[in-house]
Amino acid sequence: MLPSILNGHAMNEHTPLEAQVITVTSGKGGVGKTTLTANVGIALAQLGRKVVVVDSDIGLRNLDLVMGLEHRIVYDIVDYVEGRCRLRQALIRDKRAAELFLLPAAQTRDKTAVTPQQMIQVCDELRKEFEFILIDSPAGIEQGFQNALAPADLVLVVINPEVSSVRDADRVIGLAESQGKTQIYLVINRVVPARVKRQEMLSVEDIKEVLSTEIIGIVPEDDAILSASNRGMPVVCNGKGPAALAYRDIARRLSGEHVPLEIPQALGWWQRLFGKAS
Amino acid sequence: MIAIKGYRHGLLIVFNDAAQTPWFAHLRELEAKLDATPHFFRGSSVAFDVKDATLDEEDLRRAIDVLRTREIKLWAVISQNAETCARVRSLGLADRLTTTVAARCTPEQPAHLSEGARNSPSPSGEGGDGLFVRRRIRSGQILRHPGHIVIMGDVNPGAQIIAGGDIIVWGRLNGAVHAGALGNPKAVVCALEMSPTCVRIAEAVYIPRTLERGQRKKRAAQIALLKEQEIIFAPWDVLTHTLK
Repeated sequence: MLPSILNGHAMNEHTPLEAQVITVTSGKGGVGKTTLTANVGIALAQLGRKVVVVDSDIGLRNLDLVMGLEHRIVYDIVDYVEGRCRLRQALIRDKRAAELFLLPAAQTRDKTAVTPQQMIQVCDELRKEFEFILIDSPAGIEQGFQNALAPADLVLVVINPEVSSVRDADRVIGLAESQGKTQIYLVINRVVPARVKRQEMLSVEDIKEVLSTEIIGIVPEDDAILSASNRGMPVVCNGKGPAALAYRDIARRLSGEHVPLEIPQALGWWQRLFGKAS
Repeated sequence: MIAIKGYRHGLLIVFNDAAQTPWFAHLRELEAKLDATPHFFRGSSVAFDVKDATLDEEDLRRAIDVLRTREIKLWAVISQNAETCARVRSLGLADRLTTTVAARCTPEQPAHLSEGARNSPSPSGEGGDGLFVRRRIRSGQILRHPGHIVIMGDVNPGAQIIAGGDIIVWGRLNGAVHAGALGNPKAVVCALEMSPTCVRIAEAVYIPRTLERGQRKKRAAQIALLKEQEIIFAPWDVLTHTLK
């Protein structure tokens, strides 16, 4: 088994990293895959990494919307796979960072427009140019998921702290393992510490007990996310809220920095009155 | 003479004297065997070992049909006969038991995670063959073996364990289990924490009442066994009395 990436390996931030394909998946829909892909992608690029985010949700593309790049799409991944354009032409540069690109999905087709083998080929092309290739997987475990999983070196499983999301994640982790994936990490998204304390939400311990998968990030619920997605301006671009900080921490861990994982705690009445610092 | 064995990729059905007996007789024996314990086989994918028998396309298609009507998938046929092997390949089946991981694990067909090939298991008998698995069994995964199954790790909700013999879980049992699935009423299920969604032993079924959400079962090793057609649970420390 490979050593955990969470121990930190790249000490010098200017050392180019070997290209890594990271698939963001969950099984269940609506847990925050696309938001996480956009934010972690931008955060990695802000760290000076060469990043491409790939939308594999063919027929239901969203990543371009969340990143605010919708109106710049000319060609997409299906156009490239079917030979209507070169890869460079399908890549959209995001000017908010030095080296950040989006490879959009087609909106008119469905998941069968691309095969797992083609996804591997596309990623092998991208590996020549980029350090991080982030794939936003569609919900479900059907072909779209298989497409997204096939080229992955590392799998990020996004869950919300509730039972159905954890059950689906368990299934997805099982499928990823049976495809020979060993680098599987968990992101717990939309955590509300006060509700965990009241036992309305699963705690980090509960989740660990069922999934026994290493956690790479815990993202607190944050009101800034919704409006940021609607404006096409992900929170890591300029936000200082709790979610933006959590996404940046995930990006730092992925690029090899050792960042200790903090479990968000509910504030007591004293802290709520006088602020977290007191 | 048909034998059912556990193999690395799942179940292997061996036709021991395939060349000496007509194929239709074999199929009839197979049907009888499958219908005797349908729960054990349903949803599985199996491989055949037909030794040196010469089978034509019609023979193979008939076998596939026998299996398909019972929701069983034939994925490979191994044979020492070159002619048979060629037919097998022309039907799109594998002619050996080693495949890539990816080919085995399509989403429709959950991975058969039986690890560690063993030679002839004697289903559910004393000193019979066993499958030892050291990891967590996750939702949607099926572990199926004609002998005993020992799991060191938790069995998550949504996972299924189906054994011809006993099932021992050194961990939490939260999934569905079927012990003695080849028709052995003496089979037992043991777990360090017994909170399964469903327990079957041979023909008997037990579905526990749903626990109130958040309510944790007391952590105590238990054994489930069949007594007068009914599945009963007993604490581990009285095992010596109950097993007699």
